[in-house]
Amino acid sequence: MEFPAALFPSYFGAGPPREEGGPAPVAGWGEHGQVLEGGPGRRQAQPAFVPRRGATGERWEAADAAAVPVLLPSAGCWIPSPAPQDILYRSGLCKKLRAGKSGATLDFARQLGHFFVDHPEDAFGSLGQLLHKNFYLGNSKLKVTVSRNSTIRMTALVEDIDRLEARRGCPRQHLASRLRWFSHLCRDWLFEVPLGLLADCLHEELMQQWSNLLFDDSLTGGALAWLPPEDGGTPVGCLVHPGGQAMNHLYFQDVVLEELPRARRSPAQFELSGRVRQVAAARVDGEDFVGVRSDYHCGVWRVPGRTGAAPTPLQVIRTDVPASCLTVSPHLPGELSVCTQSGTVYLWSVGTGLQQLRHDPQTMFFRDRSPWRWSDFTAHPRVLSCADRTGLQCLDARAPKKCHFDLFKVGEEAGCQQGERVVLPMYLGRAHPSQYLVTTQFSVYVLDERLPLVPVLKWAHMMKAPPLFAHLMPGNPGRSHQVLLGASRTQELVLLQYRASFWGVSSGGSQSACQLAGTPQKLHSIAGCLQHLPTQLPHRQHLVQQRLEAPAAGLAATLQEDGPHKSMLVFQLSEAGDVFCQRLTHKAAQPPAPPLRDEATPAPGSSPLFEAPASSPQGLGTAALRYRRWLRALSRARREPPWHTWHPSLSQRRLFTRRDLQGPAVPSSLQRQMRQRLHQAMQQGGRIQRWETSAVQPPPLPQTMEPAGGPDPLSTRLTAAWAGDWEQWWEERTSFSVAQRQRALRERRRRQKRARGRRSLSASFTSSLTYQSELSELSDAGPSLLSPGRPPILSQEGSPPAGSPAVHSPAPSPAPDEALLSSQSLRCRGIPKERRKTLRDYLSVWAEGPPEPPEPPGSQASQLCIPSSQSQLSSASQPRRKRPRMGF
Amino acid sequence: SSHEHKLNFRKSKEACLSYIQDALLQKQWKRAAEFLTCYVESLEKDYSREHVGPSEMIWRIGTEILWHHSQSSMKEFNCFMEQMKTLGVKRYLKVCLEHVFHLLCNGQIDEAYQNLSLAESWRFGEQTAIQDKEMKLIEAYRGLLDYYSWSKQKNILLENGEDGFSDLAVEQEMHSYFRKAAVNLKEIIKIPGVWDVFVKCYVDLLEFYGDHNEARQVLNEYAYNSKFPANPNAHVYLYQFLKRQGESKKSLISALKILHDIVPSHELMIDFNTMLQKSKKRKKRRLGLEVIFAALDYAGWKENAKAWSCLARQVKQIVISEKHLDWIKQEWNSRKDWWPAFHFSRYLAKRNWQENKSLSYEKALVAGILLGKDCKYFKYVSHQGCKAQLKRFRMLKKFVNRHNPVYLRISG
Repeated sequence: MEFPAALFPSYFGAGPPREEGGPAPVAGWGEHGQVLEGGPGRRQAQPAFVPRRGATGERWEAADAAAVPVLLPSAGCWIPSPAPQDILYRSGLCKKLRAGKSGATLDFARQLGHFFVDHPEDAFGSLGQLLHKNFYLGNSKLKVTVSRNSTIRMTALVEDIDRLEARRGCPRQHLASRLRWFSHLCRDWLFEVPLGLLADCLHEELMQQWSNLLFDDSLTGGALAWLPPEDGGTPVGCLVHPGGQAMNHLYFQDVVLEELPRARRSPAQFELSGRVRQVAAARVDGEDFVGVRSDYHCGVWRVPGRTGAAPTPLQVIRTDVPASCLTVSPHLPGELSVCTQSGTVYLWSVGTGLQQLRHDPQTMFFRDRSPWRWSDFTAHPRVLSCADRTGLQCLDARAPKKCHFDLFKVGEEAGCQQGERVVLPMYLGRAHPSQYLVTTQFSVYVLDERLPLVPVLKWAHMMKAPPLFAHLMPGNPGRSHQVLLGASRTQELVLLQYRASFWGVSSGGSQSACQLAGTPQKLHSIAGCLQHLPTQLPHRQHLVQQRLEAPAAGLAATLQEDGPHKSMLVFQLSEAGDVFCQRLTHKAAQPPAPPLRDEATPAPGSSPLFEAPASSPQGLGTAALRYRRWLRALSRARREPPWHTWHPSLSQRRLFTRRDLQGPAVPSSLQRQMRQRLHQAMQQGGRIQRWETSAVQPPPLPQTMEPAGGPDPLSTRLTAAWAGDWEQWWEERTSFSVAQRQRALRERRRRQKRARGRRSLSASFTSSLTYQSELSELSDAGPSLLSPGRPPILSQEGSPPAGSPAVHSPAPSPAPDEALLSSQSLRCRGIPKERRKTLRDYLSVWAEGPPEPPEPPGSQASQLCIPSSQSQLSSASQPRRKRPRMGF
Repeated sequence: SSHEHKLNFRKSKEACLSYIQDALLQKQWKRAAEFLTCYVESLEKDYSREHVGPSEMIWRIGTEILWHHSQSSMKEFNCFMEQMKTLGVKRYLKVCLEHVFHLLCNGQIDEAYQNLSLAESWRFGEQTAIQDKEMKLIEAYRGLLDYYSWSKQKNILLENGEDGFSDLAVEQEMHSYFRKAAVNLKEIIKIPGVWDVFVKCYVDLLEFYGDHNEARQVLNEYAYNSKFPANPNAHVYLYQFLKRQGESKKSLISALKILHDIVPSHELMIDFNTMLQKSKKRKKRRLGLEVIFAALDYAGWKENAKAWSCLARQVKQIVISEKHLDWIKQEWNSRKDWWPAFHFSRYLAKRNWQENKSLSYEKALVAGILLGKDCKYFKYVSHQGCKAQLKRFRMLKKFVNRHNPVYLRISG
């Protein structure tokens, strides 16, 4: 590509930006910038001038009144990311403060409180257990007993805390002296994790969440890619997008381009081990290469050119520091560039692996705190650009230390404003091999790497949020190129047109300088369709609104030429995983505008989408139909209540089937046997010594969690303390050796069991036989775990506390439903009073424990009645799960 | 209270602005215009201390609307601009410039000239740095228009001169245009910046009056002053000037060498390569090979048949003479791990063959020499060429087969 024979005039300065700035709401309007002699008619008497901005561009008009869903919402529930009100401190006083200059106040205390309530084991585990006896939670006065000296009444403290909570934000609040006294006493030792450390971590996390809310740069680049159909082939492209509840599934969905794009076949799907942040794609030699970035993993897939061919994963890399960028080379197959937040840039080629090009935790041109880095390819396949918030540099991969030049600097060189920062750089190779797009929060720049530092085009984009996504649609030679800019939080979409084209051979074939053509145009956002949707029940309306207003997460577009008709399809992905699409149709150039064209675009508030006017009933009809189906699918997905109102529950029908409760019509052989024995015993007036018939043997005790090779006493002690068995460890240490102790325990267990077996028999004579035998087995499990006085053997076997590092249960198990365990419902099932507690205990043990090993000792029968539905009940990634009730 | 009133007023102002913005972004010019008439009120109670005040907003929005509004006329536009000029002292020059730009783009050169002259004589207190820059630009654009007038007169004079008839009045007018243009253009090109148009015009003036030293100095300054951006055009203009002056090959080469160093992918590199290839000096020919290899590294040159034929010619020469194979070897060393995939894949062989046979011929020759006769690109193209019974492809096959040992020496 030739260099323009003359460029638009501009001043060139060096140094930091001088212009004071800030977001200017209309800065992009009404300016030509500069003019240049050029254009056709050079030989005429008068020179003809062209402006840098304001030339006529192509005219694109939205075909529909709103964006239309492409895919049905996925079945799983979407977990909205935290909103400002979740982490900000809300009170009248603070609002006033915020209106001043103090900025937002994070509600640190509330979050710490949440942590203590949600994770008491992790927060107070061992000392809580040690002090258990010394805290009295009742309402009555403590009796003057022996315990009086060593027990304190906590109720008063709790009341004080409540009172404090009620007066929160009151400027005249004083700490109750009792609270102060208590916190003074125990601040240093009560907490499992030292309070200062915990608070630091929490505060850091809160700051992180808050800065993510203000500006989340992990989404830079966008997680949506469109793999266009091959030239001349069937109009079936492929949409690559993340989905699933945690956005950790990658879908390759074939999409047929019709009036409205339509999904074809079920998508190829890959489950990944992290949330997909970015999907980047490039086509080399007729094959698409798709790079996928999550925080700690990056992967690359190859999609063969022919339609319908399955994508193949090629390679995955893992990073220690979160990756912030992944771009795919448009020049060489299987080459990508990766940046991490530690300031490292790698050239990653699938054949040979990673090559580190640069490692610099500092920013390039001046100091900026952001660890965000970006890298992309340039016109030279061995030269990569790398960017941080302060600018762009190009490096030669063959000698990265020696060969580099500055491409863009936030400074006077590009006429930047103070405080301006690079948001997204993008190589515009498909439009022009040496051009680059750089967006900042205020402006967009087009750069030519042959003339570094001086932007060949600059325009203030006036978007409310920084453009994190950009998509280029190159025009044919001589036509303008289209660039789409997208913001995340506000879902803004802006269409720009620029030209870097030949004026034609007649004027000498020289290339003109880069020009912005036409006016920028706002496209529909996903949330924009809300006003067109039919009215719904308020709560459903709210859900739909929440879903549609989720921040955008990606952007893709394609040009479609169908004979004389040219149209543009724009896809937008939301954080909820929805993909919406809008079609823009190209109108022929219109130098003299029709007088009433304003009315062609619908004014907000009208809803032609669902009214299906006569003009093109077909298209609008299908759009409306799409919406209906999408809404229906959404409400179906929602019928399963959202996660935060979803109390983990056990289906009673599955726990005890009706047949179980009725008792079998024909008694089983076991029952018959038992009945016989009962009869016999009753007739003889004797008693049954052992309830087990024959083959029920006490199962072997599982291995205690002891690292091989006998660790030093300190680490065993710490392990024990961590697992919550500190007390037991102490006892063990003071009394017997482990082996002796186990033997003794086993013996004791057997005795207990026998004793309880007798008791249970006498107490539960009324209900059916089968049932009794089951429950008597169950009854062994509960109390031994839960009474702290007894050695907690079972807690070693079946259910170490959730925070234990040695056990990684695949998913936290929910607690049994309270309704199920209410004594009323148990009574309905004929479970005697004595057993109810035992059953409750058992169920809570089961709910707490990992699936492996699943049964407590001697539970042949228990398998019959407890459904093995761990997987069904486990709800992945519940951020704030309730602790199971421990039966008290 | 008045505070509340202020607050409410600000709020409604902001709302109004966002409506206007919305309308503009959806190209609803009429609607935007209606809102703008309401927004004008914000001028009355302008309490804002933001750096873009309401008067600037009205100027920007109004201009944009008048550009696109179906019922606007040039007269209305001029009228609006005059009003805007009086609205803010700080922005006077900027608005003037933009007004001039619009007039120029609409072919109203004379009106633009008048406006420029008017703006030039404007004085108001002490000028800020930005105003100073704007003033310089205004002067420069006036100089540019003077240059165009000069050039018009010159053409008239030249045409008349052919008829053997000279007009003294026209000539004098022309000289006066020259003086006016030269003064202003000379000023702006001293300041660091991109002044392609101004430099070109100024050099044209100087050359016409035979002041070649001054022209050379101006061009040298524009190309080599480190305060100026590394503008490839500056080097191109210098090179073209030297060529016009009939300078020696040596100085032309040295000018292009610098251009090669800053922009290896410049289109002049083909000329440079041809020039170097013809040279008798080994070093120059060596540089020529480097230049063409470097140019073909860039994606923009991938399908440039001319460049490939340059490379093919030089490589062929070297292979036939069997001298300086090490040049190729050295160039190839830093490229052998990525050129095959970048240039010589089977996919490209197919596409090049379909789209441009002569390109695929040149590339196949280079591929055959650099990668041997078993290379995918060469095999595909030579096979297709032989199938199509094209003589030169058969020759190509023979040539590569005969020189296959070269490949071993290059890659070894």
